[in-house]
Amino acid sequence: MNPAVHLDGITKRFPGVVANDDVDLAVERGSVHALLGENGAGKTTLMNVLYGLYQPTEGTVRLDGEPRSFDSPRDAIDAGVGMIHQHFMLVDPMTVWENVVLGNEPKTWGGLRVDGEAAREAVVELSERYGFDVDPDATIADISVGEQQRVEILKALYRGADVLIMDEPTAVLTPQEVDELYGVFDELTEQGKTIIFISHKLGEALSAADDITVLRDGVNVGTVAAADVTREELAEMMVGREVLMEPATSPQEAGDRVLEVTDLDVEDDRGVEAVSDLSFELRGGEILGVAGVDGNGQSQLVEAITGLREAASGDVRYRGESMVGKTRRDRIDRGMAFIPEDRQERGLVMSYDLVENGILGSQHDPPFANGGRLDWNASRDHAESVIEQYDVRPPDAEAEAESLSGGNQQKFIVGREFERDPELVVATHPTRGVDIGSTEFLHDRLLELRAEGKAILLVSSKLDEVQGLSDRLAVMHEGEFTGIVDPATVTEEEIGLLMAGESLDDDSVEGAAIHDAAGDGTDDAPGGGSDGADDASGNGIDGATGGGEGVDA
Amino acid sequence: MSDSDPDADGGPSVFARVVAPFVDRSVAERLVISVAAIFLSILVGFALVLVSGRIAECSTAAWTMPFTGLGFCYNPFEVYVVLFNGALGYPFAVGDPGLFNPGWTPFNLSFGLTLSETTLLIFTGLSVAVAFRAGLFNIGTQGQLVVGALATALTVLALAPLLPAGPVAGLVLIVVGTAAGAVGGGLWGAIPGALKAYADANEVITTIMLNFVAANVAYVLVLEVFRAEGSSVVATRYVPEYAQFPSVLFPASTDFALIALLVGVAFIGGLYYFVEHTSFGYDLRTSGVQAAAAEYGGVNAKLTTVRAMTLSGALGGVGGSVWVLMSEGRWMASVPDLGFDGITVSILAGNNPIGVLPAAFLFGVLKGGALEIGFRTDVPTELVAVLRGLIILFVAMPEFFRMVGRYTGVAGGPGGAGGASGASGSGSADPDESAGGDGGEADA
Repeated sequence: MNPAVHLDGITKRFPGVVANDDVDLAVERGSVHALLGENGAGKTTLMNVLYGLYQPTEGTVRLDGEPRSFDSPRDAIDAGVGMIHQHFMLVDPMTVWENVVLGNEPKTWGGLRVDGEAAREAVVELSERYGFDVDPDATIADISVGEQQRVEILKALYRGADVLIMDEPTAVLTPQEVDELYGVFDELTEQGKTIIFISHKLGEALSAADDITVLRDGVNVGTVAAADVTREELAEMMVGREVLMEPATSPQEAGDRVLEVTDLDVEDDRGVEAVSDLSFELRGGEILGVAGVDGNGQSQLVEAITGLREAASGDVRYRGESMVGKTRRDRIDRGMAFIPEDRQERGLVMSYDLVENGILGSQHDPPFANGGRLDWNASRDHAESVIEQYDVRPPDAEAEAESLSGGNQQKFIVGREFERDPELVVATHPTRGVDIGSTEFLHDRLLELRAEGKAILLVSSKLDEVQGLSDRLAVMHEGEFTGIVDPATVTEEEIGLLMAGESLDDDSVEGAAIHDAAGDGTDDAPGGGSDGADDASGNGIDGATGGGEGVDA
Repeated sequence: MSDSDPDADGGPSVFARVVAPFVDRSVAERLVISVAAIFLSILVGFALVLVSGRIAECSTAAWTMPFTGLGFCYNPFEVYVVLFNGALGYPFAVGDPGLFNPGWTPFNLSFGLTLSETTLLIFTGLSVAVAFRAGLFNIGTQGQLVVGALATALTVLALAPLLPAGPVAGLVLIVVGTAAGAVGGGLWGAIPGALKAYADANEVITTIMLNFVAANVAYVLVLEVFRAEGSSVVATRYVPEYAQFPSVLFPASTDFALIALLVGVAFIGGLYYFVEHTSFGYDLRTSGVQAAAAEYGGVNAKLTTVRAMTLSGALGGVGGSVWVLMSEGRWMASVPDLGFDGITVSILAGNNPIGVLPAAFLFGVLKGGALEIGFRTDVPTELVAVLRGLIILFVAMPEFFRMVGRYTGVAGGPGGAGGASGASGSGSADPDESAGGDGGEADA
């Protein structure tokens, strides 16, 4: 039997770049196939070729053995290929069934009137057939993200899709919703549908897929059955070398109280309360992780601490000194380092080269400035040392920030902030977009800073990251900490509940002895079996932030 | 980046496609583009002169087209030769044997007029450029110049009787007068700066309005209080001859002083150093290119806005001082549009202080050359104005596109991922690698 989808020797070149180099991919009917790779490995490009958004430079797309050529997604849809983008294309004020039929409405009166009855009927019938629990009359704006995703799947099915391509499907889901999605996968494949999903998370591919194809630098490194491969082997295929999966934390004495947040209220840009009545403290030599679905006030909390946003009320004390009324400059001068979540908006000046970017925040301080005059030689040395230590590529201090890939931009920012010799590091998504190998290094550096007695507030959407590195883990929901737990003993499910805003019955872990158990505990807890879910949920927190154009079709 | 997916939604918008090629260009490329633009504008202007010359009526044809025998009232070759050659005082011997005119010296009347215009535009161009670099659109250089000029004239007139006439008093008066111009213009520029910073008032609107306020308040003040006795126009008394920039080397009738030009060049160097090599310059231009990053880097946005507008206004005010102390010798109500031309000069210069010198010189040449065309040919001044406009339009457009492209975040080449490319939907939109798409990234 011919495979449902067979990409035969696909090469896709862009000016100056080979995104896919002679990639073969065969996907059996009724299977779930994961396309795994690091950022920029060419996964999305390959799927865009299958979906008709790009024409391959070389190679053939075959469906059920038939060679096909798609000039547009419309052709692909007609041939039974549907794609579900990472950011949903739904009309918020319209109902579920209206969204599903949108563009392909059954019509009466010679095409003048939408036959709402028939359309709704068709949608109900379709969702029952696949066991989707979606209210057809609910408005999109009122349903959860997981349900919205199912509406997207329904939309593709309604248009007759046999092959479903999903781009980072778990990126916007909570751990519970991820499990539900895997259920949907089973339902679909049972009915003979074929699913290809793009992912850069090992655990997700291992737990959801039948087969996994790994892409690296546009080349197919290999296709393996999920049952026959380990997490470490997959990581090695992705990165091209062996990777140490778990950061090694060690016990650490807590030092002085560095940060003390008391009854903090912060409003967002629209004047809506984003952080409400939050209190916590952070000591030197301690990493406090903050987990939560993005958009639950983490950004505003971090901005209030670092001086980019004024708190509505409450107090932030830094090394015993109240920061109320202190400017961003004051806080930089006092040794606060800050890795911002939006590296291309804040962290770097995109049109500046790395020499200029290296002094962002220190432009008034020696050795870069003497009496108002900038010393570009000192700045260049600094940039070069950051580039070398943090493996920024290309290693060219004269390169403009915008010419660097996202991961390298991130490494440069992290390097600049770490080398500031800070007392407090506020790190939001420090390894976002950074490849596995460099992530490992950045984690090690974070732990070194901790060992030096620095206080670290780590906000990350990667659950395994915050869980693996933190001494204490705070889960944030709607501007409040629903719990501060011991990352060594807390379970995935418990974190999921906290992220959803529910409190744990026995949250005795709160305020638990933090440091003593950190060592061995953290090594074990996130390891092994729970990793899959770790990853899935870690990502779940993320998608919400993305700029609209994160969609990579 | 290995995965540079162009935008998925059917390619960039028309706007982005037009603008994008100009965004990421090196200085050398931009120079080539500018020179090419001048030639292209000459080509278009050439056709325009021919067509007008065919439509116009005249007794004898100024130029007959070879082979066809068609006669034209205006000679397009002559127009452009006079425009550029005349602006320099005819260094080239066109039509006569030999390449150069033997009797030519640079210190002639025409060249003096060209350089006089150049000098004035250096200051207004710098004024607009420094505001631009801070991300502020100062349309108010004209008003700042008017205020600065009046402050200079009144200060010099008030102080002159207190000092014994002579070169020393002249030097003191010029320095103090210029400082007064800087203060006057600076304060006038600080108003829209403060309004922008603390009342969120758009500086484009406020600076335009303050232009009218400046012009009319100055007019009424001079009309009612400071008008020179017996003067037929609304003007102050003349400042003493010794308190004006002396016309060394050039004929006195040119109203040009080499010293003033050198001061202008020194200002260019100073501003360049300030922007590129000082902490505050770094704050200022970072605010201009990426306000959020500047704020992150500890830059006080409000204070930077006020400071940049004050500096910009002060430069405009110095322009006014030079206009009084070099060109007119007094303040008079008919102030030329130096401030507005400064906007175009700044755009031509790519808002780079160094670039202001050639840009202002081009303007000077066009001004001086236009006068020469009026003397030497029958081409109407309106047509000359059109030809000038064409050159400026052609040269400014690529820089203008570049500016707009940078402002809206349109990236050019495949490697450039614009910071805010979401707005225009161009640039590379792979979320793994590029802007705005941070949402897509959270990997194990």
